[in-house]
Amino acid sequence: MDKKTILENGLLEQYLLGELNAKEREQIEQALASDTELKVHFDQLEQDFETLGLENAITPPPFIKSQLLKNIKPSSVAPKVVEMQPNKTKFYFGIAASIAAFLLVSSFWLYNELNTTKQQLQTVETNNTELNSTIESLNQKLNANQYLYAAIVHPDTEQYILKGNALMPEGKVVSYVNHSTKSVVINTERLPQLDAEHDYQMWADIEGEMINMGVISKDTNLMAMNYIDHAESLNITIEPAGGNDHPTVERLVTNVYLK
Amino acid sequence: MQNDNRLIQQLQQKDERALSLLYDKYAGAIYSVILKMIRDEGKAQNLLQDTFMTVWEKAESYDASKGRFYTWVYRIAKNKVLNVLRKTDPLIQTDDFSVYNQKEDAISIDTEYLELNGAVTKLEAHHKQAIELVYFKGMTHREAHEVMDVPLGTFKSYVRQALKQLRDSYAKMLSLLLLILNAL
Repeated sequence: MDKKTILENGLLEQYLLGELNAKEREQIEQALASDTELKVHFDQLEQDFETLGLENAITPPPFIKSQLLKNIKPSSVAPKVVEMQPNKTKFYFGIAASIAAFLLVSSFWLYNELNTTKQQLQTVETNNTELNSTIESLNQKLNANQYLYAAIVHPDTEQYILKGNALMPEGKVVSYVNHSTKSVVINTERLPQLDAEHDYQMWADIEGEMINMGVISKDTNLMAMNYIDHAESLNITIEPAGGNDHPTVERLVTNVYLK
Repeated sequence: MQNDNRLIQQLQQKDERALSLLYDKYAGAIYSVILKMIRDEGKAQNLLQDTFMTVWEKAESYDASKGRFYTWVYRIAKNKVLNVLRKTDPLIQTDDFSVYNQKEDAISIDTEYLELNGAVTKLEAHHKQAIELVYFKGMTHREAHEVMDVPLGTFKSYVRQALKQLRDSYAKMLSLLLLILNAL
């Protein structure tokens, strides 16, 4: 079918409006495919009809569109995806929520655990420090006692008993003197208790001069004193707390002569 | 309308969003044609929905090389309306003529819906009527020339002339629009 016939008979318009039968449609489509000018004319025609249509548009009620979108769902594959998405989302949201809840609970638990552990650690540290100091003091005591024991049991050690005089009739001190190791250890178990303002002090007598051997501790029953060479006797006096430079002879409570 | 291509492709891949957007763009124009043909709002609404259901279901069969998307949808809508009218017609004609007359008189439709708008209203009366009959009333050229009581050839030239004038007026509108756009 030639272009002139098509144009003069208004076949493009009728084709566009869908008035033609299948055979005519096919002829027009062939003509359009082979004739660019005719196609341009047809494009123009289509555009004009479309503009005409849009100019006369009447907005349909909104429910038609919502019905349409609802109705297309069961007939296609797409809705399955659309329907599943919320489920999936819910599913994932559920998982996420569970994880979040679990994390929340477990972090709370961990926090508590951490606090408990911290407290326990602190206790352990305190105990450890206490134990260390106890061990230290025990070690010191042990060392001291070992020294004292060694001094007492030494074969060269000699024992001298200082018996209390009239000022201290009930009291006595046992002393262990070793001239080879130059040590003096005394047992003060039987020394009567003094008030806080006084201490017992020990002296060595060398040719009439009293040399300080040390203040006797109130805390222990066995203690080492300073060894003084060539001492003739051991003497104990009561002195003001902390000891004295010179002995208060009036308050001599006991003495013993060394052989 | 070039950007329709992408939407149409998506529609053919069953993308609901594409259908929604294309509906927004063309439903008004199609609804207007359906209303003017069937002259019944309820039926028109059903037919509009039906038309776009077919658009959705048969989207793959649309061939862009053969014409515009709007033309394709227009033809679907028109065929659906004509089917309904044809089903009704034999019943009326064989059984009861009065129903037909009554129906013509008792159309439950806002007359505003039947009026034309835009450039077509500026055409001479016979040009306007020719367009109205073939485009908005869905008549064939053969039916329409009888209604207008002019020879078929004359009617065809009415349509051609009307379209030429619409063309000119749209071209003017377009150039005016371009002018305004340039001025901006």
